[in-house]
Amino acid sequence: MLAANTSPRRVEVAPPSTKSYPPVPSDLYEAFRSGAHTLSSMGWAQQQLHEARRWSVVEMLSHIDIDAMSPEDRIYVWNAGRAELTTKPGADRVARLADNECRRWLDVDPALAAVMQACGTWSRYWNEEEAHHETAFNQISARLGMPVVEDTTFIEFRKIFPDDDMLRTLTLLAISEIAAANKYVSCSRAARDPGLAALLRQVASDEIQHMRYFSSFARALVDSGHYQAKEAVSVVYLFTREGGELFGSRREQVEQRESHVNWWDQIETKDGVTQPDDIERQRTMIFSMLKSITGITVTTPDELEDAWMELVGC
Amino acid sequence: MESQSVENFVRERFAAKVGLSAPEIFDADLTLAEVVMRSEKLRNSVDLMEAFASTANGLRKEHGVRVRLPAFPLDTRTSVVLEALTDQVAAKLAQGTDAV
Repeated sequence: MLAANTSPRRVEVAPPSTKSYPPVPSDLYEAFRSGAHTLSSMGWAQQQLHEARRWSVVEMLSHIDIDAMSPEDRIYVWNAGRAELTTKPGADRVARLADNECRRWLDVDPALAAVMQACGTWSRYWNEEEAHHETAFNQISARLGMPVVEDTTFIEFRKIFPDDDMLRTLTLLAISEIAAANKYVSCSRAARDPGLAALLRQVASDEIQHMRYFSSFARALVDSGHYQAKEAVSVVYLFTREGGELFGSRREQVEQRESHVNWWDQIETKDGVTQPDDIERQRTMIFSMLKSITGITVTTPDELEDAWMELVGC
Repeated sequence: MESQSVENFVRERFAAKVGLSAPEIFDADLTLAEVVMRSEKLRNSVDLMEAFASTANGLRKEHGVRVRLPAFPLDTRTSVVLEALTDQVAAKLAQGTDAV
């Protein structure tokens, strides 16, 4: 009789790679229509990308030297922590809206229903990743002894946005991610502390990945033929026109809303410190995103207005 | 083309787009937020923006004048928006260019 080998085997497990990421799934409508993807296989693709991009807030904060942060760094972080509070209601809303849309289309267009369900499924990763951003920035602010977010403000910033057309919603969220990524990149370049600069770069990278997901879902809605490209163009116009939403709190007059909080309206300048920004770069990225969603090419706000008015009609 | 006819066109076309009467909007000089709130056709400022775009397209098609749409906050009164649009038309007519 052979003795059973009960000695434990040592298995060398390579640490997960954080440098090469699987791509954000694309051509979603066709993938579900043709059967190339099921919701289970899509869930696996989303999980792989999420795991590959995971990082630790606790570890990231351990590399930040609070004392080395400049006055400007402190203002960036404080504003970022408040702004990120508004992401959770956004993700909660997308989860609910996507499921509603899924059931609305289930008997009409199962591939579109699957796209909606995949979007709602992905929103759990989005929510979790944004939680990293929110807690990281607010924890740094707390360590700096900066004014804490009062519970009343916290609750105010958690208000859920009113519902709208799903294509408009996804386009708006993609734009919001572009605006956020640009702010974080600019702040990272200006940051005095290298640890903070690294955190800001990481967050900007996350936001770009989110933008790619939103664009991919939005493209699938247009590809289905059930959503008009006009809706995406309208939202891009709302943001990129002169004096539009992209100008955020720098506009001559910012909307006062009871219903919800737009983070881009709430950036505060303290002690003369303004947020670094680059409107033209954001416009270029947004126009590129619009092309990826609708196939429509524009390079200036006037060209966009012409295209939009053509789509609106009389 | 008379400025009065342009103004009337804008009032009537915009009112039809938002599903309210022209006097209800312009005689009362509602704010844009009030227009959105009272209209059953509008959900938000994107819908409102599209109603103005459609009105501007109608102006271009029926009167041959192209106007640009300025961004206004939602507490702007409709009389201010109306004036901004009719001023653009008057300026283009004075220049002798319709810029269609």
